[in-house]
Amino acid sequence: MSEQLATRPPRHFLRRIGSQDPIVVASLALLLGFVVGALIIITTTPAVLDAWRGLFHSWGAPGHAIKVSFDNVGAAYRTMFTGSIIDPQSFWHSLTTGKGWDTTLTPISETLTYATPLVIVSIGVGIAFQTGIFNIGANGQAVLGGIMGTAAGSMVHMPTVLHIPFTLAAGLAGGVISGAVPGVLKALTGAHEVIVTIMFNYVLYAFLLFAVLSTALQQPGQQNDISRTLDPSAQLAPLFGVGSGLRVSYGVFVAIAVVLFAWWLLDRSSLGFEFRVTGANPQAARASGMNARVIVIVVFLISGGLAGLAGVVQVASTTHYIDGEFLIGNAGIGFTAITVALLGRNRPMGIVWSSLLFAALGVGGRAMQATTGIPLDLATVIQSAVVLFVATPVLVKEIFRLRGAPSQTIELATKGWST
Amino acid sequence: MSAGITEARADAPVVRKVPRGRTRVIGVIMVVIGLFTLVAFGLNTSSKAHSALTFSPVDIISNAPWHLGTLTLLTLWTNVVLGLVMTAIGIEVLWRQPRRGVMGRFGLVSVLFLLALLFWAVRTPGPSQVSFIDLTSILVGSSEVTMVLIFGSLSGVMCERAGVVNIAIEGQFIAGAFVGAMVASTTNNYFYAAIGGLVAGGIIGWILAFLAVRYLSDQIIVGVVLVTMLSSLSSYLNLQIFTPYPNLNTGNVLGNFAIPLLDKIPIIGPVFFNQSAFFYLMLLLIGAVSFALFKTRYGLHVRAVGEHPHAAATVGINVARVRYINVVLGGAIAGVGGVAFISQQGQFQPGITSGLGYIALAAMIFGRWRPSGAVVACVLFGMSVYLADNLQTYNIPISTEILTMFPYIITIFVVSGLVGRVRAPAADGQPYLAG
Repeated sequence: MSEQLATRPPRHFLRRIGSQDPIVVASLALLLGFVVGALIIITTTPAVLDAWRGLFHSWGAPGHAIKVSFDNVGAAYRTMFTGSIIDPQSFWHSLTTGKGWDTTLTPISETLTYATPLVIVSIGVGIAFQTGIFNIGANGQAVLGGIMGTAAGSMVHMPTVLHIPFTLAAGLAGGVISGAVPGVLKALTGAHEVIVTIMFNYVLYAFLLFAVLSTALQQPGQQNDISRTLDPSAQLAPLFGVGSGLRVSYGVFVAIAVVLFAWWLLDRSSLGFEFRVTGANPQAARASGMNARVIVIVVFLISGGLAGLAGVVQVASTTHYIDGEFLIGNAGIGFTAITVALLGRNRPMGIVWSSLLFAALGVGGRAMQATTGIPLDLATVIQSAVVLFVATPVLVKEIFRLRGAPSQTIELATKGWST
Repeated sequence: MSAGITEARADAPVVRKVPRGRTRVIGVIMVVIGLFTLVAFGLNTSSKAHSALTFSPVDIISNAPWHLGTLTLLTLWTNVVLGLVMTAIGIEVLWRQPRRGVMGRFGLVSVLFLLALLFWAVRTPGPSQVSFIDLTSILVGSSEVTMVLIFGSLSGVMCERAGVVNIAIEGQFIAGAFVGAMVASTTNNYFYAAIGGLVAGGIIGWILAFLAVRYLSDQIIVGVVLVTMLSSLSSYLNLQIFTPYPNLNTGNVLGNFAIPLLDKIPIIGPVFFNQSAFFYLMLLLIGAVSFALFKTRYGLHVRAVGEHPHAAATVGINVARVRYINVVLGGAIAGVGGVAFISQQGQFQPGITSGLGYIALAAMIFGRWRPSGAVVACVLFGMSVYLADNLQTYNIPISTEILTMFPYIITIFVVSGLVGRVRAPAADGQPYLAG
C-alpha cells in the first residue's frame, strides 16, 4: 500500500483538497467544530431565539432572524480572533502612530503564555500515544509537578541561576513520580493505564488540597487553600520585562527545548524507534527483542515528567502560587493536552500548531465572554467537537464526500481493558 | 512466559491466572491493615473508653412499633477483636492462597476497617462531639451516592458486556442531571424528568455507538472527549439558560415514598423501604439487567458479541445491532442515574457530578463486569465517599483529603490484579469490522 503511494506521481496542490490527507481532514474537522459551535450559539443565545420566535410576524422576519443569527455568531468568532491573535484596528493604530504596541500584542502574548505549558504537557501525552499508551493522568501529574515546583520555589531560597533550574527539576520530579505509579503498575501487573491514571488523578487532586492546606505549603497567615508565593528568583520572568505588561515568559524556551527533545527522541534515537514500534505493533516489538515492560515504564516516566514540567512552568510563569483549584476541571491543561495531541497526530510540530490553535481558542473564548457575554466554555465545546471529528476521519470524509475508498482499517490509539 | 512454546504462540489465547505472588501481596496488605487497626485503633485507646452503636434514625423513632436499643462496646476490646479478625483473614489468604473469593475478603476487610475507624472516632471520653455511631443513618446517607453509582455501573455492564467501553458514564450523568433539573423544574414532576434524562443519556449513548460501532473509532478516546464536551456544554448552558431563567432550575428535591409497614422494620426499613422512587427503580433495574444478561437468549447474544464478535456473527447475530441497542440502553440507564442524582441535590450546577461516573466505572470493574458484583462494589465505594464527606463531624485527626483518596486507591489495587483476577469481556474496546 505504501509503496503504491510512493510511486504515484506528485499531485497538484489543489488536488490535495479532495484527498484524504491528514492535514486536510484536520482542517475540515476544525471547520465542522466551528459549525457545531455556531449551531450552539444560534440555539441558545436569547437574542437570537427572540428573533426566531418572531418568524411568522412579518414578511421580513425570516431574513431578520437569519441576519441576527449570523451577526451573533460573527461577533462571537470575531472577538475570539481579535482577543487571541490580533486586533486589526489596534494594529493599524500602532503601525501608524507607533504607540500602543503593548495593547496590540497582548492577545498574542496571552495565547503564547497559555500555549507554553500546553505544548510541554501535550508532547508528553503524544509520546505516550505513539507508544500505544493513553495517559489520561497528565493533569494529575501536572498538579503534582505544580505542587513540588511550588514547594521548591517558595520554601528553598537560592540565587536565580540555581533556583529556576531547581524549581523546574522539582516539578519534573513530581511528574516523574506520579507517572511512575501507572507505568510500573502496567508493566508489572498489566493494570490498564486508563483506569489507573483516572483514579490517580483524583488521588492527586485530594493531595493538592491536603498540600495547600498543610502548614508547610500554605501561605502564612491564610486559612484558605492558597500556597506560598514563589520567590522572585524562582519565577520565569516576562520576556519583554515586567513593565511591558506582556505576560509571555522565558517559559517559551523551555517549551522549545521540549519540542526539540521530542523530535530527537522520536525521530533520531533508537529508544524512540522502540516506542513507535511498540505502539504500532506490540507483537513485532516483542518478537524483535524489545523489552515491553521497560518501554512502558520509560514512556510513563517521560510522559509524566513532561506533564510535571508543564505544571511548574504554568505556576512559575503566570500565577506564582497554587490554590486548591489548580488545573482542576475542564481548565486542566492535562485534559486539553489529550485533544491537542490527537489533533496534532502526536507529532512534535503538529502538537505545536494545535497547541497554539487551542490556546488561541481558550484565550479568545475569554475575550468572547467579556465582549459578547457568550460563556467561554463554548471554546472547550468546539475543541472537543473538533477532536471527535478528528478521531472519526471516515465520518469527515463522508460529510465532505472526499475521494478515496473508505478506509477499512482500524486505527486504535488505546487498547481495551483486557490487553 | 516461562517456556519457549508459550512465547512463540503469543497471539494464542492463554488462560491467565492470578500469579500466586499477587495473592500473597494482598494477604500482606490485609495483615498490615489488621495489625494497624489492632495497634492504632485498639491497643492505643484507653481501656475505659467506650463507643456506642445505635440503629434508629431520629425521624422514625416515634413511628416504629419497636426499635433496637443502643449497643455500647468497650472501644479497646472491640477494635482488638476487629483487628485480629482482619489479620486472621489476611493470614488465611497468605497461607491458603485461595483462587476465588479474595476480592470478597478484601471487601470485608475494608468494611471492618471503616467500622473500626468509626468506633475509634466516637470513643467517649474522646475528642469527638458525637458520642455514637448511627449505623442506620450511615447506611441511609450513603445509599444516596450508592444508588447513583449503581445506575452508572449497570450502564457500564450493559455496554461492556457487548464489547463497547463506556467511559462516558460521567457524561451521561451530566446530561441526565441537566435535562432532569430542567424538566423537573418546568413540570414539577420527576416522572417526566426521568424520561427526559432517559432520552438525554440515550442520545449520548447513541453518539458513542454511532462513532464507535459505525465508524470504528477509538471508544476510550471518544468516551473521554464526550465527557469533556458535555461537562463544558453543561457549564455553557448553565450560564446561557439557567442564569437568565432561574425558574428552569428551581431545584425541587424529590421526597421519599415509604412503603407501609415494611418501613417500620429496624435498619432494613429505613434503608430499603423509605426511599425515593428512583431507589426502587434501581432495585428493579439490578434484577432486570442481571436477568436480561444471564437468563435470556438476548443476553447470551450480548455476551457472545462482547467475547468473540466474529464467532457471534458466524451464528447469525447482528453484532452492530446488538452493540447499538446495548450502548443506547446503557446510556439511558446512566441518564436516569443523573436524574436520580439531581433529584437529591435539587439545583444543577456545573461539575456537580464530580467524577461519580468514573467511580461507577471502577465499581463495575471491581465487580468483574457482573451486576451483582458491581452492586457490592458500589455499596463499598458509596460508603467511603459518604464517610469521606461526613467524617469531619467526628473530629478525627485524619484529614478529609486523605480519606477522599480511599475509593480511588482501592480501585487502583483492584485493577492491578492484586485482589483477584479481573477479566474483561475479551472483545471489550475492540471495534468490530465485518468480514
